[in-house]
Amino acid sequence: MVDTVSPLEPVLNRGRFANTAAQTGVVISEPAPGSIVQLAAWPDTDQKVREAIASVLKLNLDNSPGAGAVSGHRAAFNIAPRRYLLAEEDEGLAERLLSIVPADVGSVTDLSHGRTAIRIDGEKSEWILAKFFAVDFSLARFPVGQGVSTSHHDIFTQIQRRSETTFDLYVFRSFARSFWRSLCHASEETGYEIR
Amino acid sequence: MLISCPHCGPRDVSEFTYQGDGNRVRPDHASTDIGAWNAYVYDRVNIAGEHNEIWQHSGGCRMHLSVTRNTLTHKISSSTPVQAARPTQKAARKSRTKA
Amino acid sequence: MTSTRISMGGRIDRSRVINFTFDGKRFAGHPGDTLASALLANGVSLFGRSFKYHRPRGVLSAGVDEPNALVTIVRDAVREPNLPATTVEIYDGLIAESQNRYPSLQFDVGAVNQLASRFLGAGFYYKTFMGPKIWPLKGTRFWMFCEHFIRRAAGLGTAGLEPDRSRYERMNAFCDVLVVGSGPAGLSAAKAAADQGANVIMADIDARFGGSANWSEETIDGAPASEWASAIVQQLATMPNVRLLSRTSVWGYYDSNTLAALERVSDHKTRPSFGEPRHRHWTIRAGHVVLATGAFERPMVFTGNDLPGVMLASAGQRYANEFGVLIGRRVALFTNNDTAYGAALALKRAGATIAAIIDVRKTVSDTARSAAAECYAELITGYAVQTTEGSKQLDGVRIQQFDGQRTTERERLVEADCLLVSGGWSPAIHLASQAGAHPIWNEDLQAFLPPPPTDKWVGAGAFNGTFDTATAIDEGLSAGRTASGNTKPRKTKSSVVEGYKCQPNPAPVFEIKGKGKAFVDFQHDVTADDVRLAHTEGFTSVEHLKRYTTLGMATDQGKTSNVPGMAIMAETIGKPIPEVGSTRFRPPFAPVSVGALAAERFGDLKPERLTPMHDWHIDHGATMYGAGLWYRPMIYGLKGETVEQAYVREARAVRSGVGIVDVSTLGKIAVQGPDAAEFLDRVYTNMFSTLPVNKARYGMMLREDGFVMDDGTTWRLGETEFLMTTTTANAGKVMQHLEYFLDVVWPDLKVHVTSVTDQWAGAAVAGPRSRAVLEACVSGTAVDNAALPFMGIVHGEIAGVKVMICRLSFSGELAYEVYCGANSGTHVWEALIEAGKPHGITPYGLEALGTLRIEKGHVTGAEIDGRTTAHDLHLDWLLSKKKPFIGSAMMNREGLQAEDRLQLVGIIPLDNLPINGGAHIVEELHESHPSDSIGHVTAMCYSPALGKYIALALVKAGKSRRGSRAFVSDPLRKRFGPVEIVSHHFFDPEGSRLHG
Repeated sequence: MVDTVSPLEPVLNRGRFANTAAQTGVVISEPAPGSIVQLAAWPDTDQKVREAIASVLKLNLDNSPGAGAVSGHRAAFNIAPRRYLLAEEDEGLAERLLSIVPADVGSVTDLSHGRTAIRIDGEKSEWILAKFFAVDFSLARFPVGQGVSTSHHDIFTQIQRRSETTFDLYVFRSFARSFWRSLCHASEETGYEIR
Repeated sequence: MLISCPHCGPRDVSEFTYQGDGNRVRPDHASTDIGAWNAYVYDRVNIAGEHNEIWQHSGGCRMHLSVTRNTLTHKISSSTPVQAARPTQKAARKSRTKA
Repeated sequence: MTSTRISMGGRIDRSRVINFTFDGKRFAGHPGDTLASALLANGVSLFGRSFKYHRPRGVLSAGVDEPNALVTIVRDAVREPNLPATTVEIYDGLIAESQNRYPSLQFDVGAVNQLASRFLGAGFYYKTFMGPKIWPLKGTRFWMFCEHFIRRAAGLGTAGLEPDRSRYERMNAFCDVLVVGSGPAGLSAAKAAADQGANVIMADIDARFGGSANWSEETIDGAPASEWASAIVQQLATMPNVRLLSRTSVWGYYDSNTLAALERVSDHKTRPSFGEPRHRHWTIRAGHVVLATGAFERPMVFTGNDLPGVMLASAGQRYANEFGVLIGRRVALFTNNDTAYGAALALKRAGATIAAIIDVRKTVSDTARSAAAECYAELITGYAVQTTEGSKQLDGVRIQQFDGQRTTERERLVEADCLLVSGGWSPAIHLASQAGAHPIWNEDLQAFLPPPPTDKWVGAGAFNGTFDTATAIDEGLSAGRTASGNTKPRKTKSSVVEGYKCQPNPAPVFEIKGKGKAFVDFQHDVTADDVRLAHTEGFTSVEHLKRYTTLGMATDQGKTSNVPGMAIMAETIGKPIPEVGSTRFRPPFAPVSVGALAAERFGDLKPERLTPMHDWHIDHGATMYGAGLWYRPMIYGLKGETVEQAYVREARAVRSGVGIVDVSTLGKIAVQGPDAAEFLDRVYTNMFSTLPVNKARYGMMLREDGFVMDDGTTWRLGETEFLMTTTTANAGKVMQHLEYFLDVVWPDLKVHVTSVTDQWAGAAVAGPRSRAVLEACVSGTAVDNAALPFMGIVHGEIAGVKVMICRLSFSGELAYEVYCGANSGTHVWEALIEAGKPHGITPYGLEALGTLRIEKGHVTGAEIDGRTTAHDLHLDWLLSKKKPFIGSAMMNREGLQAEDRLQLVGIIPLDNLPINGGAHIVEELHESHPSDSIGHVTAMCYSPALGKYIALALVKAGKSRRGSRAFVSDPLRKRFGPVEIVSHHFFDPEGSRLHG
């Protein structure tokens, strides 16, 4: 296996960092999917592209903005008109998509190294995210599977809700360490655990 | 201030970038008419009232939107995908002469 | 004033004692006390000295409207000045100091200003010190000389010099209904909205929810008002759709129902818990807003109305009922309305003697009359307070008969240690005004009321001018329902409220004219005479009045002074108040800490962009350099090396052997789709559709106006797939440029652009031995001249990692850029270093990179500065004549063709000394009077290849000056000297090394 290095390596200090009341309101971790891929459709091929996602990842998305689905280590969500972000545990997702999505159907862009996934889980996860993003993360407005593209100042972020209390954040790799530090800093109030 | 992105819904203005006057119409790409290019690049109607603007949801889905904003009240009366609302060259000439 | 703690009552926790100091003296109070209430409970009446005249000042109010009792709080050596003692909650160890006094609060030398006060009217300082010409200090200079002393004499608290290490945070919130204020109206609105299922946020500026219910003496539905309020608060606290924010001032109402609020999270604690912010700044996007912000009582304007012991009537009541503090033993009241009689009843009940109630009205209502009788007070109608008696605190008031305009004869003295005043009420319409509402003058209430509600906000209670609690509750319930979208009429019965009930309408009296200073704006020491002086001097618009006298411009923003000031102005002009107009309120409603606005955006928390090999660079001695948000190695200095020695060594290694540099920061954009080649033909000045797969080409793009925008190489990876590189600085700009054209101008083109900057780690291996290094580590492809010609691309592996190698050069040497997945960046980089060891491979930084490019005359951002054309930079060869491209028509404009434009040249300093970027090039050298610039230096280095200092410059008609002499002129850095203007191609102009 080739030596790959996460940008988070020097700051991923596993352990509990509780607040004054000895609580850990969130758990922060790096899921490190083997593949992160963007799939973009043309105006007349959106349906075909979503079928491709269904056939490769077994995830069905409807055509509403931000629509997404998660299942185990597979995730897909809409990030922009006719654009989807896909993640999977295994490497090689881009190659598999390329074999079924020709250029006249859509564009496959491998971002497995270009984006870093950060997971925040716990009852305080909505509270912590609200410190960074002007997005309503309440379950009613942002259900499980739903995705959104947003930013925290210069840090562009794509976020998907995995469960009631779990969110996956995809940030540009070069910003990942800086963002991770900010996330930990912001979580000191509720206490956090790095896993 | 919130801008309603046709894709993402109402989002904070800080996620958007102003991308210029929505009334201007680019001359044909191959045109060498300097007058027309000059008008496109530099001429602006400085409207006190309803103004057509192009914004990009740069901190979100990155789509461009055509926004009608009142420059006196900041009230945004419509925001649509930019293509649905692009003026034709003829309409643009009309709006320039009117102003 | 002899204020004391009452033995019972108040909503303080008497079982616990809190110790704090004021001006070094120890005091004790209880949880629930503000600094003002705790000091009053200890008999303190003097809180500070005034802004301009250094007059002794006490407490006027009990809340955020306080203009007088400003203190400095010292915490961990950090000083926070100008906090109203009425809003500071005490905690164990609190250190408070009074302000604007020297050497002490009791004896203040600045008080001599009072002797000269006749001369210190509005505009005094400017009039006196800006005009005269006193040699050698004339006009403005004289002012600047005097200003230093004036600034010391006038002012409020002093900020400290210690950095504030507190934590501040920002928070985003969304709700269906935001309720501002939690008095009976606000509570009812929040409850009604929450019962409808709406998501509700209720914010109150105070620590305790309930507003006036905390200090009124009413019962609501049979329970004391405060208990009624706590019961509702408890219900709200258990509802999952309700968020309660106490100690939170909603200070700004912006477009699209976005409201700004400041939550004082831990100011009331001795020490915040770990990770807890001091202040939290909330940005609340609300569907609807219920404004239940109440009203402010107004003082009366009369001589000596600022003496400690003079207080608002409602404040006296609040201190008694909420804080258990009796503000005087023998209390007199001065009023123009019936509400003050309620305060008299409360004070009587708390144990005070009500000496007299002085009412400007000749006849008063039966309600008032019986209230006066109930507290055994002498009711003196048709009288007004003429002046106060006492030096540092009130001994009594002199009153005279009053006919509605002026006082006449029949003077008498009323002895009292406290005077409660009431000049009517001003609804707190600040937020509605910020939202664009134009207030309407109400003659009955003598106050500005909000206009009818809009589709975004609705008001309730005293905010609307509704001072009857039962009606306020009704309004709150309706407002809550309306805001949550229920338009059906309400079926529930109104609450039954019992207590002192009165008509709040005041007599239209704001000022009792007399001799001596009668203050309108206490905090800025603006008197009624100042307002009249401003009018005499021609400041007749209310906006001018405000700026000239600074009325209402202090930290309290004129909460108590705006309406009286306007009334006096109106009277002076001879117009009714509504015609004088009101000023529009602007944010903030209450002061906001700058820390909360900056929040996490300072110091170490500015985001950093790191390349995949960042840690390697640090481990190998690199000095990092911030380039935008990126961090890049500047030099890899050896022990004892200067920066220049280091980059010269590094650059020399590239020319003589081989070097390696991290180029991961270059902007990289995936351009994909059937029309990608056509799109690039339109975007770039040169042709890309003819580029074969696995070839790269150098390209330049212009802006729409014909100026150069960016340059870089673009690689064709497939028939429909390109990898565009941009300069590091312009990556974002180019991306938006491409997106704009695809989305707005050519939506018919099937092209996707995606930022892949972070996907690839990039290393440039440069120098005559670079091929040998690759040959030693690359597998799966040949890298010889045949397999990998100039601008060719191959795919292979290094140390088991897939790589993409393009042969291109920025240094002018044989060179390759090796790209791999970012997570493998360090792995591949280390493999290249290992393979390069036998060849003496040298990592080099930005300085050496710059040196190599200056020697070659390549341009970067310093030359592509937004003002240069392709022609200016001698890049005409990139301008295709076969096709139109962005900027192709505009670049041909006459002015852009002129031969005297600034053009790129090389510069050789003839004294062989360094020159700086930004230095000017001149034709004649006059060190003391620099002559006209003919251009400027853009980049400079010591060139190891040429053995001397060289520079690039943009010089007028530069091309035709090649071979001629000029001078460098840099007066700021005192660098002058002769230079020779040469071609920008200093080194290997034929490019023979590149193909080596």
